[in-house]
Amino acid sequence: MAPERRRRIYRAVTILTVVAVLGCAVYIMARRMGLAPGYDFGAGAYYYADIPGFESVVRDDAYQTEVPLWVHIVLFLGWGWLMYRLWVWIDSRKS
Amino acid sequence: MKTNLSDLWKKEDWLAVWIGFAVIAIGCIAVLTGAFDFAAAKFSTWHLWENVAEKKSLLAQLDGAFWVKLLRTFLVLGVLFTLGVKLQGGKIKEYIPAFLVLFVLSVLVRLISAEFTLNRYLEWAFWALIVGLLISNTVGVPKWLRPAIRTEFYIKTGLVIMGFSVLFSNIAKFGLYGLGIAWIVTPVVILFMWWFGTKVLKIGNKPLVITLAAATSVCGTSAAIATGAAAGAKKNDLGIAISISIIFTILMMVFEPMIIKATGMSQLMGGALIGGTVDSTGAVVLAGNALGAEAEQAAVLVKSIQNILIGFIAFFVALFFATRVEKSEGKKVGAGEIWTRFPKFIIGFFVASLVASFLIQPLAGSDSVKAINGVLDQYKNWCFVLAFTSIGLDTNFREIAKQMQGGKVLWLYIVGQVFNIALTFFAVWLLLSGVLFDIPVLDLYK
Repeated sequence: MAPERRRRIYRAVTILTVVAVLGCAVYIMARRMGLAPGYDFGAGAYYYADIPGFESVVRDDAYQTEVPLWVHIVLFLGWGWLMYRLWVWIDSRKS
Repeated sequence: MKTNLSDLWKKEDWLAVWIGFAVIAIGCIAVLTGAFDFAAAKFSTWHLWENVAEKKSLLAQLDGAFWVKLLRTFLVLGVLFTLGVKLQGGKIKEYIPAFLVLFVLSVLVRLISAEFTLNRYLEWAFWALIVGLLISNTVGVPKWLRPAIRTEFYIKTGLVIMGFSVLFSNIAKFGLYGLGIAWIVTPVVILFMWWFGTKVLKIGNKPLVITLAAATSVCGTSAAIATGAAAGAKKNDLGIAISISIIFTILMMVFEPMIIKATGMSQLMGGALIGGTVDSTGAVVLAGNALGAEAEQAAVLVKSIQNILIGFIAFFVALFFATRVEKSEGKKVGAGEIWTRFPKFIIGFFVASLVASFLIQPLAGSDSVKAINGVLDQYKNWCFVLAFTSIGLDTNFREIAKQMQGGKVLWLYIVGQVFNIALTFFAVWLLLSGVLFDIPVLDLYK
């Protein structure tokens, strides 16, 4: 396929996607889809502390684990460090 | 570049840390002693023309208590930021009137974003950008208002305050199941998006790529703000990443539970999938709720773990950009140089988080920490609204179109999000379907 034609198709698909996504979002908002009765918040509450009465939504002890906290922290930090090294490696590779 | 002791009281990063700590300290004293009220102003959800029975009309909430809180918010932030600007060498005679107007604009933003429908779907960050953009692209930003446009200063301060709400104990809330879903997947998605954005799509703006990757894989707006600040992203980068994340969150909140239901997936698996992939916490709760009580609980547990990741992701991003992205070709960056380049507000974020997790929570209890965060959260929001209004004021539409790089940024988000959903589904299936491990039982009794 000629590069110019490919560019045009890409442009058309991108514009169509943007229009479809925005259209869907406006439709959802206009129909007030996805909201729950009794909850005084929506997707606009982006962080947990922004949710009114968040403590009534989640139970702190909903799940009990016998694995100590320190094991979680060690695994958490270990995986984080491993992924950081992988990131450095990916970045150093030529594209 | 050399590091001096005077940086501690002259540099923006450190001043953001001290201001953040001051707000946290006053908030803690106010709540723990009960000696005074430190609550910041907040608009309740309002409506103009609809009969939404349980909501207050706009005028009904503008009572004496509201104005006292608004004045307090203005004075607390005004005094602290003015002091910060003075210490950085700014002219306070120019800053104070400019800050006053910026604050008024921020009040307008928070008022608009508290309207019933707008509040349910779009965050104030979106309206802050819109209000700022409308002004800058129509009447223009007057020169006298410019001294108050200090986006990074407000963002860094807000992030330090936010650090107090990041509690380490949440890491074990869903045991190794939650850690596996939230933490194994997240960095892999970030690395995938980094590779796809920089190597395949060849987007040269690396801070934008990592900001969008964090927004997609961690938790939307808050992760984007922290990562963008850590990577030194341009103001437009942050605006674009957050706008894309907000719009797609609306779609995912509605369609993801529908698709999960149609596939017949269990509530536990569906909820965990939602918690790991839907960006905003509010949307996670609602999407989980649409599937059922167990799904809602699982979704919130996974999202709670993702919220802890914000600081760590920001730390590693800051380290990466200090050592790799900003270095000169072929030169090795020494420890001193890394320290100089490293954004210090991240240290403030971690200290606030550690104090809340390992000092205040064990000593004063979880309920006290929640009450303190109830107060601090509004100050954090005001800082971010000041920042996002500043971004809008400092941006024009042509720049935004240029930043989109012919749609590459949009495709980076879409491909990254699809990868995120696929990988999270795999992790959820592996951990929660019973093929390898026992299916965990959640206590749903409230």
